[in-house]
Amino acid sequence: MEHRSDRSVRWAKALGVLTAVALLGAACKSGGQASPPSGANSTPGSSSSAPVKEGGIFRVGTIDYIDSLNPYNYIESQATNAMIMVYPQLVQYKYSKADGFQIEGDWAKSWDVSPDGKVYTFHLIAGATWSDGKPITADDAAWTIATTLKFQNGPTAEMAPALGHVKSAVASDPNTLVITYDAPVGNALAQLEQLFILPEHAWAPLAAGNGKGLKTFHPEQHLPMVAGGAYNIKTYVKKGTTVFIPLPNFYGPKSHAQAVTLTYYTNADSMLADLEHGQLDFVDQVPFDAVKAVEKDTSLIIDKIAGSETTNVTWNSNPRKLQNRELLDPRVKKALSMCIDRQRIIDVVFSGYADTVESIVGHISPMENKNLGPLQYDCAAGNAMLDQLGYTKGSDDIRMVPATTGQYAQPAHPMKYEILTPTSTDFNVDREFEIVRDGFAAAGVQVTQKVGGDSTATYALETDDNCDPSTSTGYSKFDIAMWDWAGYVDPDFMLSVVTKAQWCSWSDTGWDNPQYDQLYKQQGATPDATARQDLVNRMQQMVYDQFCYTQLVNEELLDAHTKLWTNIDSNLSAYSKVFYTGPHQTG
Amino acid sequence: MKADYIIKRIAFAIVTVFIAVTLNFVLFRAVPGDAVSALRCRQCTVQFKEIERRELGLDRPLYQQYLLYIGNLLHGDMGRSLRTQQSVLTELWPDIWNTVPMIALGTLFSIVFGIIVGVLSAWRRDTFTDKAGLYTALGFYSMPTQWLGLLMVLFVASAVGLPTSGIKDPTLGVLTTPSFATVAADRLKHMVLPALTLGLVLYGEYALIVRSAMLETLGEDYILTARAKGLKTLTIVRTHGFRNALLPIVTLVALSLGFIIGGAITIEYVFSYPGIGLATVEAIDQRDWPTLQAIFLLLTLSVIFFNLIADLLYVKLDPRVVEE
Repeated sequence: MEHRSDRSVRWAKALGVLTAVALLGAACKSGGQASPPSGANSTPGSSSSAPVKEGGIFRVGTIDYIDSLNPYNYIESQATNAMIMVYPQLVQYKYSKADGFQIEGDWAKSWDVSPDGKVYTFHLIAGATWSDGKPITADDAAWTIATTLKFQNGPTAEMAPALGHVKSAVASDPNTLVITYDAPVGNALAQLEQLFILPEHAWAPLAAGNGKGLKTFHPEQHLPMVAGGAYNIKTYVKKGTTVFIPLPNFYGPKSHAQAVTLTYYTNADSMLADLEHGQLDFVDQVPFDAVKAVEKDTSLIIDKIAGSETTNVTWNSNPRKLQNRELLDPRVKKALSMCIDRQRIIDVVFSGYADTVESIVGHISPMENKNLGPLQYDCAAGNAMLDQLGYTKGSDDIRMVPATTGQYAQPAHPMKYEILTPTSTDFNVDREFEIVRDGFAAAGVQVTQKVGGDSTATYALETDDNCDPSTSTGYSKFDIAMWDWAGYVDPDFMLSVVTKAQWCSWSDTGWDNPQYDQLYKQQGATPDATARQDLVNRMQQMVYDQFCYTQLVNEELLDAHTKLWTNIDSNLSAYSKVFYTGPHQTG
Repeated sequence: MKADYIIKRIAFAIVTVFIAVTLNFVLFRAVPGDAVSALRCRQCTVQFKEIERRELGLDRPLYQQYLLYIGNLLHGDMGRSLRTQQSVLTELWPDIWNTVPMIALGTLFSIVFGIIVGVLSAWRRDTFTDKAGLYTALGFYSMPTQWLGLLMVLFVASAVGLPTSGIKDPTLGVLTTPSFATVAADRLKHMVLPALTLGLVLYGEYALIVRSAMLETLGEDYILTARAKGLKTLTIVRTHGFRNALLPIVTLVALSLGFIIGGAITIEYVFSYPGIGLATVEAIDQRDWPTLQAIFLLLTLSVIFFNLIADLLYVKLDPRVVEE
């Protein structure tokens, strides 16, 4: 279970901030200046005006663990957060309530963009050193980029998307990096935020031969590792505590805490008990059903952040699926969806810390189409629709699907399906399933839960083993799933997950609609905000009308900390070094 | 005769190991798909999976896979985790070393208290002592382990100042270098609650079995004879009663110890205790078949080993088994 779904958070955040980036990019087109790194004086969401008290150990509890510190081989979002802390990045995000997320410099103090938008010149902070004392130079960045591109179809595939359209990277001097693209890329900075600069002198030997060593190397198992970010790792225990110690020569705002400890819990109750008993200073996810209890503790502060995560019923929308093809009919899906009591889900599963949502992009995006739906909870009308469509109820109250003929002929069969659920959700998906099951039962449809394992395993069940977009193979076995997506400010990423280009990758529906794919390409190349909003609205409407998903709720993100620490901003978790460097003890 | 018995038991254990190893191979190939099927990542293309299959030998005929598997096992190679690409044994050793002392502590607690309460209950049958022991044992034995663990977390931990999770204080050694004694004490503190939870649940089982075995023994004629001879109560219970009741107790202890390697999944989950139980959950969750296969094999070997030890102890406890 994770702070945000690992399947989406990394790329969602990377690809999704085009709005902010576009604005910033426009400023930089003529040779812009990056905003200075936030940090010690920043005022994130949970900040206070308390005087800064340096020192102390900032103890963080989490229910997501760091699986790796190798940017070429990791999955969990906690690993993203840890790598942000230990590796230099060219840019990172900052957040304010007024402006939302915006790109700021990390190691890069400023950058210029050529008039044709193809060449980015980054001016880097001089004097930075790796933890072993060697200087961090633009050569390290150029080497990281060149190596990632060299093995992008193999060992370095995981970080390669950050370098989409990159043609070359050259260190013109130790403090200047020039990245050349083969075409103007609007979201270049957002992509580069996902690039972790590696120490060439430590990693170059791993790139020998076929570069497999780059993927199999686990720096966390060879401590002390060579780090160049705000922290180095003192100790690492995957299912225990990882200790971050500030690097004295860090180029950016220094950590207020003398150390940060990240402790993994399998049991959220234990984590909350430790927070209440003063064994922890901060937990990054309060279970929804425990919020009221935590609120009673006057020594604790709960931050409620507008959540990016939406939960949904995912319908297999592969037009070539062979069985239960009645579930491709949007009318059937709509009728069944009208029997889902979403308010009950909000009350029971999320203890009220969520609201209904209709669009795939979620409330977090300012480009959400507010004119969708809303889907009404009206099971009588849903039943009437199914009756009208000819799905009559049998003696056991289960509806029957008449036999069909033609290319995709299927025999008559009862409306009985499996719903696939992952184990890696940060909410009680089992309880959510029960509410959906009750709703479907009221519509004369029987569903049973099939637990698919963690994100990786469940995805495999959705896409099939032999998934291959070139032959349109895959998405043939599952009918329905229940999962979540973490959306982002810019809708680009969420809109992309239902494109054919994401088959066997991010697509969890198998939808294949050339008209939609065309619109997706078009919106990416539409600089005019109003015109793009129109395209984006149309795309959201298409996904809504097709019922690729039945959107259920938009969650809130809840974290808690003691009053002994302040300046904590969970918006920056896995987005910025300030998430760890910013917190300090109250005076 | 005794040597024959011992050789036979060892030979039997070896054959059992061989069968277990073979079953472990067959079971994981009988389920749909294979170790690579569930791999899911951005680079996990069909081609990538084919390469992985080739590297794991999954593209070869079954008999060749079996020979490869046996050959690797003989070299102490249990494969490579699909999740981390590390040797499975390297991955599991820390978990095993975390689990074994905790389970051993809990088991020791349960054996000691289970035997004391079981013997006392039997000797004081139908008295308050017996009833108190019996009902307490029944209560703990019937409690769901994870529920008892949660009670410990919510109500016991803060009251007695014991940690509720993990194996080490997160701040220990962060800014200073702790002494060995400090580290050991910290480790022990983290072990107490999970071990106590396990101990209490197992204690119930032990107390009931010991009581039952003792009641049977204490009803024998030789106990009456011992009493008639005027032997002290303690002597009767210890020498004539308990010793003769030991066989089922040893069997139970051996079985319990056999599961030490398996860990206590629910307990480790509640206390976030990074042992082999949590590793099992994680391997299942992530469909990390090589890791799961190694855990199953280690568990099987452990059970077989401790059963062999029990068989050998029988020779000492009851020489008649050799003659039979």
